[in-house]
This record gives sequence, C-alpha cells and structure tokens, in this order.
Amino acid sequence: MDINEDDEQLGETSEEDDSELSDGELQDAFAKGLLKPGLNFTTQEPKKSVNNVEGLKQCLADFRKNTLPWVERLDMVNLPADDIVAKSEGRLDNKASGDINPDDDFQREMFFYRQAQAAVLEAMPRLLKLKIATKRPEDYFAEMAKSDQQMQKIRKKLIMKQTMMEKSEKAKKLREQRKYGKKVQVEVIQKRQKDKKAMMSAVKKYQKGMTDKLDFLEGDQKTAKGGAPAKGGAGKTAGGQTPDKKAMNKKGPNAKRKYKDQRFGFGGKKSGSKWNTKDSHNDVSGFRAKVAHGKGGKGGKGGKAGPGGKGGRGPAKGGAKRPGKNARKKMKGRS
Amino acid sequence: MSALKRKRGGKGPGGKAKKVKLVENGNEPQTTEMEQNKEISVPAPVSMGKWKNKERVLVFSSRGINFRTRHLMQDLRTMMPHTKADTKMDRKDKLFVINEVCEIKNCNKCIFFEAKKKQDLYMWVANVPHGPSAKFLVQNVHTLAELKMTGNCLKGSRPLLSFDPQFDKEPHYALLKELFIQTFSTPQYHPRSQPFVDHVFTFTITDNRIWFRNYQIIEEDASMVEIGPRFVLNLIKIFQGSFGGPTLFENPHFESPNTRRRVIRMATASKMREKQMVKELQKLKRTENKEVVTRDVTDDVFATPAEERPVHIELEAPAAKVVKKNKHKAFKRQRMQKR
Repeated sequence: MDINEDDEQLGETSEEDDSELSDGELQDAFAKGLLKPGLNFTTQEPKKSVNNVEGLKQCLADFRKNTLPWVERLDMVNLPADDIVAKSEGRLDNKASGDINPDDDFQREMFFYRQAQAAVLEAMPRLLKLKIATKRPEDYFAEMAKSDQQMQKIRKKLIMKQTMMEKSEKAKKLREQRKYGKKVQVEVIQKRQKDKKAMMSAVKKYQKGMTDKLDFLEGDQKTAKGGAPAKGGAGKTAGGQTPDKKAMNKKGPNAKRKYKDQRFGFGGKKSGSKWNTKDSHNDVSGFRAKVAHGKGGKGGKGGKAGPGGKGGRGPAKGGAKRPGKNARKKMKGRS
Repeated sequence: MSALKRKRGGKGPGGKAKKVKLVENGNEPQTTEMEQNKEISVPAPVSMGKWKNKERVLVFSSRGINFRTRHLMQDLRTMMPHTKADTKMDRKDKLFVINEVCEIKNCNKCIFFEAKKKQDLYMWVANVPHGPSAKFLVQNVHTLAELKMTGNCLKGSRPLLSFDPQFDKEPHYALLKELFIQTFSTPQYHPRSQPFVDHVFTFTITDNRIWFRNYQIIEEDASMVEIGPRFVLNLIKIFQGSFGGPTLFENPHFESPNTRRRVIRMATASKMREKQMVKELQKLKRTENKEVVTRDVTDDVFATPAEERPVHIELEAPAAKVVKKNKHKAFKRQRMQKR
C-alpha cells in the first residue's frame, strides 16, 4: 500500500468537500498523474510551528548567569576528536553531527565517544590550571555510583564473553584441523590400497612364473633400511614396520594376566577340572591323624584364638584355653 | 546527619560563629563534637572552598511510571549530588503545582518525568520560579543497571559537560544548552560532591534529537568507558514560564507517539482492508457464470483448401486375411543357435 501525498491542488479540492470528490475531478487528477494507484490519504497542511527567535534570545539573556565562573559550570562546546580509524583508512571523518547516520549504531556511538574525548582533551589543561583532580588518589575511598555487586556482575559478564570468544575460536580451529586430518587419512588409505594392489600383482606374477624373484616379500624391509626401490615408497615403510615392531615389543602377557592364567587356567576344558579323580581320591599323603576330626585343639575353632585354618592345622595352643564360665564371670566382675 | 550539620557553609541559627571556626581550623570542631556525643558518624567529604552556587534540582515524577523510568530517575539522582527527591505527583494535579513543590523543597531547577499511557515518557526541564522550561519526549532509555555499561565513577563527583557545536547555531538550542548547563553541572564545593572531575556528560544533536551519554574518564589521554545512563530527548516545546506560559518554540519535526501509533495502525488496517477487497472481488469473479464459448475462433487454422470427398461408409466387414506364416517355425535367434 502506498501513502501518497496528494498535490496541493488536490488538497485544496478535498478541503472543500472532503469525501465527495466528483469522479470527474478524480479522473482528471489521475490523467494528469497527480493520483497514483493505491490508497490515498488527504494530507493536512503542515502546522505552523512557533519559533519566536526574539523571545528566545531575550529569555536566554535574562536566564543566563554570567556571574558564574567556568569552574562552576564545566561546560565545553567542541567538535569530535580526530577519528584515528577513519584517518588510517583514508576516509573522511565526519566533523559535524549532521553527517552521521542515526540508524548506524556504531558510527553514532563512535561520534559521541569522540566528542567526549575532545571535551576531555580540551578540558584537561584548564582543569590542571585550576588544580582540580581528575583522578582520585589511591588511598581515597568513597562510595561509587555503581555498587560493588553491580561491578562484579559486569566483570563476570565480560569474562564470560571473553571465554565464549575463546571457546568459539578453539572450536573453529579444531574444525579446521579435523578437515585437514580427514584429508591426510584419506591419503593414507589410498596409499595403502595402492601398495596392496602392487603386492598382489607381484604375487600373481610370481605365481604365473613370470619371475622367480621373491624380492617383493622383503621389499618393505629393504625400503626400511635403505634406498627405496621402484615401487616402494614411504607408505610401505610405514605399513611394513609396524608389525615387526609390535612383535619386538611384545614380551608375553602382562603380570595380571599371567596371574589369572595361573589361577584359573586358560584354554581347554574348564568344568570338572576341580573334581576329584581316582588318583586324587586315593592320595592320602596330606592326611594327618593328629589333626584330623577336630583333634587339633579348640584353638582351631575359635576365630580369635589362633590363625589355624579349618581342621586346626596350626599347633594346639594350650595357653589360649578358654577359662570356664565361673572363672569368666569372676573376671568380668573384677574388671 | 541533621540539616544543621549539613549546611556547613550556609546560614542557620548561630551559623556565623560556627562557620568562622570551620574556616579557621578545618575539621577539628567536628571531631570534638563527635567525642562529646560519643556517636560514630562518617565525616562528610572535605572541601576547602566555599560553596557559592546554590543550585538545587528537584528530580521526581508523576504516578504511573514504569520501572525503567524509575531507575533512570534514581540514576540521575546518583549522578547529580545536588538533586533532591520528592514523592510522586498525582496525575490529576496541574503542572504548575510543581512550582510550589520546588519552592517548598528550596529548589530552583526541576526535572520532572511525566508518564502517559504507561508507555510514553515525557521529561520537563525547568528553571523554576521564572522559566524557561522545556518539554521533551524521552526515548531509548538505558540505565546504570545494564551490564553493557562497564564504567564506574565516584558518587557525587562533578561532570564535564560537552556540547555539540550545533547548540550555538540556533537560538532554541542555545537556550536549551544554558538550561542543561545550569541543571546538570554540579556546583563546586557542594557538600555532597567529591572534589574530582571523572566523568563527562555529552549532549549531541543528531536526527533533530538530543542524545545524552555519560562517559568515565579512565586516563588523562582521553580513553573512556561509558557509565550510563543514556537517553534521547526529543524536544517538543519550549515555554517562557516554568511549566507554562507562552510558547517560545515548537519543534516542527516532532511527531507525537500517539499519531505515530495511529498512522501505523491505519496502515495495517488499510492493508487488511485492501486484501479483503481483493479477495471479495475474486470471489465475485468466480461466482459469475462464464459465457459458453460456442465458436472457436482458432478453428480457421484447421480449414484446409482440399476438395470435399463423399463420405464412404463400409457396410460389409473386411475379408479375413490369409495367414501364411508357419506357426511352428522357430525364431531367428534359435535358428542361428542351432547352426
């Protein structure tokens, strides 16, 4: 939809009879190009705004307090400071506030900032002359405009922003690295395939009796040692070396595995391996009549009395005999 | 602290003797007083000079302001130590009542926030007994509480006021400049002020509005950080009196928020209406029964200049064809294979 401002001519006609414009008039207007398609509004004549210049000047003269020195007022009128960034880029820096685009946030705020900068630069010498400090001494403590809590919050936010930036940067780097890594991986795989192919073809050749050299089998070792033969290459050395190395490095299973193997066995039939066999049944070498059938003394049974296992393998300890019930009662009473 | 103590440099009953004492031996009388009363009180900031410029600004608002305006008002009070506060004005009260309030509060400048419709904020800046006064529409308010404003300054330190050169070009801006200087500049040696200048208020005219910013001076080489608050003042009118009187200036570029909203509403409404009309027209078109086209104009294309033949109609069925083909004959492919 367009809001077209009608021309003055039309405006006048509409004033006379607002909605009752005759069709003929409208058609004429359209033919002349005054009317455009779309919805048309009748525009009001711009209001005459008051601007009493004399009054303003008079008022200002009455109102001004010329008696006050500059120290009391601290006012400055100044253009913005030089725009260093614009200068370095060879642009013209806008000196008047009319030049800036109010919708361009950054430009606008920069302009304000520069104006404040210029004010500070200009005011500094004057303040120095008047001996007014712009910085409080280190040991001067006073209430600030913003509370410590608020400043803490601000600091936290700034730090968070920074960490976020760092994180995103890191992620970006990682992504790039990953991309590169993938490329390398693909290359390696291709090389391996190529090598394999070469090897297979060599084997085939040997099978068909075209050659009776078995160089290709040791080819990798050769390449590893010295100058690369025709089809060798860096890839082969890398591929061929690893298994050898592994074999070299391997010294059997680790200690834990060894122990477990020894304890539980490995491989072979497991169930029933602990059952008695005929031989084990007949083997009575471990039997000792002294200890058998609980003859090992009571100490064997008592948990505290001695370390002897079941069957009282340890020597019977006469001294550790439990006193009788009465004796025990007496003991209890004594202590 | 009592009002008596606060007015160290000022008048008051028996103020003369006290004043002389103060000037002579600095802070000593206060400490002795403290010892006598045996109460702990924080001494006011020490200022060596005399407080001459007795400018006081009343900062308050009407009822019905939102939280942002309240914060802005609070921020102005913290930034300007020479302000006073008052309770909110009733909306029914006439504006010239403010003059009396200011008189009671002993203020000669006034910043009055007027909220309307719970969304529009107007600000009056007035020189109280005699005028002039200006009315602004306040837009784009950001307060001190925002985390983007990272600066900080002493509470009660004095600001530098920086003005755009455009303020000197036009008479109404010149008047506003004077008004701003007198309201926003903190008097030297004000008892509640600090003897430092560590922030800058900037007033810039762009887009026919006055933009207010507040920066902290970090280093002497003019590196700064914004403290806040920030707001934009859109001038509406300048009056000769305070809160009334003949109009001296009226901003021709000002568009009231009401009309602005109205235009937007009307635009959307007319858009809708147009859409509806188009829809209806289409509907009407669809319901109109179409004319049956009897003759196709393009038929002429097919008219060929050949002579007409009599229409031949077969009345008998055509004779059956004799099939000669050997049915059991193999395909060519099979024959080829056999060979």
